Amino acid sequence: MSLVHANMVDGIALPRLVWLHPNLVGLAFPLMKLLPARFIIRKALESGELRPGGLIAETTSGTFGLALAMVARLGGHPLTLVSDPAIDAPLKRRLEDLGATVHIVREPGASGGYQQARLAVLEEVLAGSPGSFCPRQYSNPGNPESYAACAEQLAHATGAVDCLVGSVGSGGSVCGTSSYLRRMFPDLVAVGVDTHRSVIFGQSDAGGGRTLRGLGNSLMPQNVDHTAFDWVHWVGAAEAFLATRRLHREHALFAGPTSGAAYLVADWWARENPDQLVAVIFPDEGYRYQDTVYDDAWLEAKGLRLDVLPRGPVEWARPHDGDDPWSSYRWGRRPYPEVMRAPGPRRELVPA
Amino acid sequence: MSARAAVPLADVPLASPAAARTAAATATTTAMTSVATSAAASVTTSVATSATATGTTPAAPVDRRASVRTIFPPPGEGARPGTGEVHAHHGEIVQGVFYADGVLEHGLVTLPCSLYRTRARFRPVRSGPLTVEPGDRRRARAAARLTLDALGRTGWGGAIRIDGNVPLRWGCGSSTTDVLATIRAVADAFDAVLEPAWAARLAVAAETASDSLMFAPGRAVLFAQRRGSMLLDLGGPLPPVRVLGFNTEADRGVETLSLPPVPYTAWEREAFGPILGLLRHAVERQDPALLGRVATASTLINQRHRPKRSMPRLLEAAAEAGALGVQVAHSGTVAGFLFEPGEGASPRVERAREALGRLGMHRSWEFTTDLSPHPEPLS
Repeated sequence: MSLVHANMVDGIALPRLVWLHPNLVGLAFPLMKLLPARFIIRKALESGELRPGGLIAETTSGTFGLALAMVARLGGHPLTLVSDPAIDAPLKRRLEDLGATVHIVREPGASGGYQQARLAVLEEVLAGSPGSFCPRQYSNPGNPESYAACAEQLAHATGAVDCLVGSVGSGGSVCGTSSYLRRMFPDLVAVGVDTHRSVIFGQSDAGGGRTLRGLGNSLMPQNVDHTAFDWVHWVGAAEAFLATRRLHREHALFAGPTSGAAYLVADWWARENPDQLVAVIFPDEGYRYQDTVYDDAWLEAKGLRLDVLPRGPVEWARPHDGDDPWSSYRWGRRPYPEVMRAPGPRRELVPA
Repeated sequence: MSARAAVPLADVPLASPAAARTAAATATTTAMTSVATSAAASVTTSVATSATATGTTPAAPVDRRASVRTIFPPPGEGARPGTGEVHAHHGEIVQGVFYADGVLEHGLVTLPCSLYRTRARFRPVRSGPLTVEPGDRRRARAAARLTLDALGRTGWGGAIRIDGNVPLRWGCGSSTTDVLATIRAVADAFDAVLEPAWAARLAVAAETASDSLMFAPGRAVLFAQRRGSMLLDLGGPLPPVRVLGFNTEADRGVETLSLPPVPYTAWEREAFGPILGLLRHAVERQDPALLGRVATASTLINQRHRPKRSMPRLLEAAAEAGALGVQVAHSGTVAGFLFEPGEGASPRVERAREALGRLGMHRSWEFTTDLSPHPEPLS
């Protein structure tokens, strides 16, 4: 391998591995979505789905768009991104600086919120430009497959891994990484971190948007393989934000709030299971959140400032819309319908 | 049984081309026996046919060069008879596809096996035909021609004799051992020592696909068998393991060179990266347990494409016996249960042997990749 990377995407696609506790290793990505973006575009070029110089279009308001913009720019592809007003201005400027065209959808859809509305606009863009390619990170199997590179790096560095913790948004990182690690370590425990009003693990998205962004979803992504998960945790925004700050204050690891949510759960799991080697995925850096998560005044104003973290999750007997700030459920690697069909908690009959 | 079934080295009657050479051939047999017994290898079997194997008494050291010279008088003219010896392998620890500069290449890491070896002897002549014995070893003949050319001896000829005990069509690299031993014998005749990478290129040119035996056993490498080049030097030998070997197809085998490349799924194509990552860790830490995980992972993927008979029950038996993993010849029929090195594993090896017997695999053998002695564990 050359000591000089071919380009910036190759240079920063893989995470830095950092010990946080003797049994907890953090996978600190500068921009995790570079892995699926690079892989999906590479595969599309190989298969001929995307022609050299062809248009790429995708719906995103987050880091997948930024990753695509970097990959598209380096590969010489025009890029159209369909987003919603939640996109922050600095990100939009950065995308445009990389040559992307950013469409903002102003009205949410009747059902499925902005994401549904964005998908409708995306279909129009694709239909209007024959030969264009849409990566579709929520359903493209290349998304989870791209995390083999991450599993390789982790296995090379640490050998056996007992538990993998990560936030779930598209299903790519945790489902992909765990599927590859389990080929070698079938007993690997996969812990998914979700947030309130995300539909991924059985809550409903009724009652307004999610405060904690970057994980969870208001539509069910095809790439979420529910049978990958042994446990699911739901973490609230305030708790995730404080955990993000703890990660920075205690480990000098400057990351975004999805990392904080994952850290909260992984730190607890590692302390509860000192004999296990735990790996936790941190998907992005903290720069985008300096005026929010990293600003105490903003946290105070939003009523999201906490002084102490909960000691542990409230374990639920089934997924529901409860508002415990941090809850967990033993998913047990079951398919989604099976979990949802399972009867609620029942009092055990005491034999006479 | 095939023409060259897996019989222990001492049992191999060296084909002697002329009756007059019988005495010399006997001397050579003795020499080879002393080599075999010094290797960490033993063969056990529950059928009687080759039971003589384990009882071989090491002969007094014999000057091998002297005995060889008895067979082949020195030809003069700057060349002398050359010999080359190569260990076979016992299938692979991993075989799949791996990224090299962004492109997927077929690659493998073999499990060196000291039980089986091939020797080639080459008697050069300045001009004349190039013959090989046994006569069906055309790839070895081609390799000799290529090596002569590579050494600037175009037009030279001579006689190549190949003998050894590497089973054919089991996936133990019999073809490569023929080719490689021949390349080494030809080089030796001119006092040349070939770099492994050079030998690899000649081997691939002679037989289209080649194993990585030129690097064994001191160095584990990820080798592109269809390209004949090293994809990755793992930086050390494989971790030490005891191997309980057996053949999943009794004494039958498969024609390994004619097999087409495996059509891996998109998921599988990426799966070999993480497996390689773990193998690198296992080699760096010399961790036998993780080597077992690597082998089993590759075996499981291979099973979807080139299924071995009884594999689910073999995996079960390995787990029950406490083996570290199961390796296979991905394009052959041999397989092995891996155990930690040393005597501590003996009860587990015995349990596994019994389980194999219950599955109808009565013939098994044992070898180790471990070249260092192991003290008894502290109790």
